[in-house]
Amino acid sequence: MNGVRRRAVITAALAALVALAVLAAARWEEGRFARAGAVRIARSTAAYFAVVTPASRVDSAELDLTQLFAQARALATLPGWVWPVEIYHGTAPLVDAGGAPLPAAELERVPEWRDGAALVPLRGRSDAATVVGVVAIRPARPRGVAGLLPGWGLPAALLAVGVAAAVAGGRRPRRDGIVAALILGLAAYADVRGAARRSTNDWLTATRLLMQEAATRLPGPRIRVTLSALTPLTLGAGAGGAELVWADSTTQEPRRARVRGTSVAVVAARLGSGRWADLRTSPAEAFTSVWLAGLLGLALLGPLGFAALQWGERTAPGEVREAATAWAFLAPAGLHLAVFSIAPLLFTLYLAVHGPSGGFLDPVRPYVGLANLRAVVRDPLVWGSLGTTALYALYVPVSTALALAVALVLSRPGRAALVLRAAFVLPVMSSGVAVALVAQSFAGLGARDWLGSPRTALLVLMVLSIWTQVGTQMMVFLVGLRRIPGTYLDAARVDGANAWQRFRRVTFPLLKPITLFVLVTGVIGAAQMFTYVYVLTGGGPLHATDVILRRVFEIGWDSLEFGRASALSVLVFVLLLGVTAMQFKLLAREGRVEHA
Amino acid sequence: MASVTLRGLTVSFDGAGQAALHDLTLEVLDGELLVLLGPSGCGKTTALRCIAGLEHPTAGDVLIDERVVTRVPPADRNVAMVFQNYALYPHLTVAENIGFALEVRGASRADIDRRVADAAARLGIADLLERRPDQLSGGQRQRAALARAMVREPAVFLLDEPLSHLDANLRVELRAELVALHRALGATMVYVTHDQGEAMTMGQRIAVLHEGRLRQVGTPAEVYQRPADVIVARSLGTPAMNVLAGRARGTADSLEDRMFESGSLQIPVALPTYEGEIQIGVRPEHVGVCAVDKGAGNGDILIVELLGNETVVHLNAGGQPLIARLPGLVDVQVGTRVGLKVDRRHLHLFDASGVRIQ
Repeated sequence: MNGVRRRAVITAALAALVALAVLAAARWEEGRFARAGAVRIARSTAAYFAVVTPASRVDSAELDLTQLFAQARALATLPGWVWPVEIYHGTAPLVDAGGAPLPAAELERVPEWRDGAALVPLRGRSDAATVVGVVAIRPARPRGVAGLLPGWGLPAALLAVGVAAAVAGGRRPRRDGIVAALILGLAAYADVRGAARRSTNDWLTATRLLMQEAATRLPGPRIRVTLSALTPLTLGAGAGGAELVWADSTTQEPRRARVRGTSVAVVAARLGSGRWADLRTSPAEAFTSVWLAGLLGLALLGPLGFAALQWGERTAPGEVREAATAWAFLAPAGLHLAVFSIAPLLFTLYLAVHGPSGGFLDPVRPYVGLANLRAVVRDPLVWGSLGTTALYALYVPVSTALALAVALVLSRPGRAALVLRAAFVLPVMSSGVAVALVAQSFAGLGARDWLGSPRTALLVLMVLSIWTQVGTQMMVFLVGLRRIPGTYLDAARVDGANAWQRFRRVTFPLLKPITLFVLVTGVIGAAQMFTYVYVLTGGGPLHATDVILRRVFEIGWDSLEFGRASALSVLVFVLLLGVTAMQFKLLAREGRVEHA
Repeated sequence: MASVTLRGLTVSFDGAGQAALHDLTLEVLDGELLVLLGPSGCGKTTALRCIAGLEHPTAGDVLIDERVVTRVPPADRNVAMVFQNYALYPHLTVAENIGFALEVRGASRADIDRRVADAAARLGIADLLERRPDQLSGGQRQRAALARAMVREPAVFLLDEPLSHLDANLRVELRAELVALHRALGATMVYVTHDQGEAMTMGQRIAVLHEGRLRQVGTPAEVYQRPADVIVARSLGTPAMNVLAGRARGTADSLEDRMFESGSLQIPVALPTYEGEIQIGVRPEHVGVCAVDKGAGNGDILIVELLGNETVVHLNAGGQPLIARLPGLVDVQVGTRVGLKVDRRHLHLFDASGVRIQ
């Protein structure tokens, strides 16, 4: 094989591998939506039977078997109902009476998914805790032309592989490979989105059919069906829930509309002569944006791999090895960075713009945009805590000045200075919680409850912070002092400057970048203070020590509003980013002073 | 103006067994430019810092203008120092640097401005006064550092290798300027350098220091022509003086008989009384070449350096390395053997320990 062909084959194989991965990922997600759709339909169906079937006359916790039997058979033959359904009364199948009974264990503990069918417990009316049977729903097979089409993903995958081979053979520009990969990602995403859309539409259609049927079958006495009687059927909606309102639309096909600024999926149900209701739910495809990014990223691995191959061909083997070694050495640190820094940051950003999830079984969070941020900004407690944090941060200049003074005194060589330096650094090395507990015992001394009074509690925390910070800041200053060439001070002495003039005119100006660094890192550290508040005051008394991170903590873990807590975190992050940017700007200006 | 006297100055730093300065006694006359010459680590900078008051001697005294200032702080000694790395305060402008000493001594603003302008004009940096030190070239920094020293009109100038960071051309230029400045100010200056060229051209007297000890003090001519020992002899002149170790041989009866043998060389020397191991110094310019076996001995040519106005030839004279400096371009081949002539009028005789005999 010559080089070009060999490269084309390798590239095509790589492209095929990537395409397969993209298709598999999309397929997996499509399957998930199909299953989720079936589970929702099964939930609504179970609710339907509970609503329309009268209780058994023998046992009020049971459903009337005769009725249930008739209604199960009726459902299976309902016009428009396309989902294979089986109703088990106890373990006995009702629709296909000759079918296999349900294993008894599964009645005790109903699995959500088994053998391609969604299983949902069927409960009696009066006693919702008693499981009287199981509803099993299989996803509908697409029928008609739609059932024959393989979706967008497969043709796009074939296209991507072909283009990749052509690019490798030099017959097409590399840009085409990237375009083909993007098309593959988009096509796969289109399939996923389609599946999501289908699952919502299926649930809307099925629930519409069930509600219309229920409207005619509700056990009497009744004159007109009420929406509240049908509401249990909407419980299968999942994330975002569903609502049922009287409306005058007459379209029985599911559609998308905007209601109060958010996108909803709607279907109109005819609940009697001339009486129409809209069934609304949040469309599942609205939560698939993560997949767009994921699938595009995955698809781009192909061109990326091709670029890497090309680079490897152009570059000497030694250099390739060297690069590989370098990446191998970087990998652990990179992984650490990705897992513990970048991923949490991205997750926080994600949480900040999403609402609460539908619970453990349904972890989809609806996108809410800036609603969390708006809520946080309107919270007076947040503003209060920002003020408290700013007040608390006032200890930083004090501790910086102290640290500089101590560093000046202890910068002389000698054993005593060494011992004293160690003494100042000691609180730095102790655990913050331990330091706080020691402080607590001190604060309890004397006639006054220093931590218990709103006027002094923050002051106690500031003093405590000064005590623990001076050591670190002193060390930074010591290093800074050592970096000042001795000749400047010699020159100043010969010039006739006394000790104060030498400090004021030479040492301090030359320490300026260090001082700035200590101040700014101190302020950032102050903005991130949490431990002492958590251990000592819990933000009290009367919010006197309610610093910003403590507020984040309370919103997140006490109110369980993770979206808002994340939004506030992002806000704090942006504020600190501003402070840091300012530092860099100042440092860039001051840092120009070289030691000439 | 003032004189500076060092009396038995000894400095030893903690821990180090050897003293940085050992019993240094030296007088710098009023208005004199004295050069302290020696290799790095010889103690010359330590001596200078003792005069400035930045270092305290372990023993001995420093006198400025006959006043003992050994324990007087630098500020009260009325000395100014120019540092090797200039030590211009990086955060101050040139004007602020020059005026710093006046400012901390509480001079009036107008006085400061006038004297700064004077000093800057004198050193040709009047247009650089608003710049920061890192915006100056090496030569400009040096001038600013000199201006800073000058502006106070001190009794003594102390200069610590002030030209060592400059390139060769600038060094020669500033050397002359410094001499002119010294003449114009009539100031007492102590100039520390390891560069013998600077020492020879600038110093009215040269004090050669080696390993913390003073080896010789004298005018450049004295020190060059009558070095007190081998070390002084080799620290002045380029290439350095040839020092041949060998034996004196002969009888006391006939002066003509007395020969100095070193390697392949047989040099007739007028030795008064000495017998045994001695050393002979001969500067490269006093070594000549001739036909083989026609001179004091033969040597093999190792390296030939053609410099244009002269030719420097490195030879191996029977195991003794020898350098000859021949005027003009001389056609000699590496690897050939030549005869060697030594100018007997310019021989320096040292005993085995290196001390001058005559």
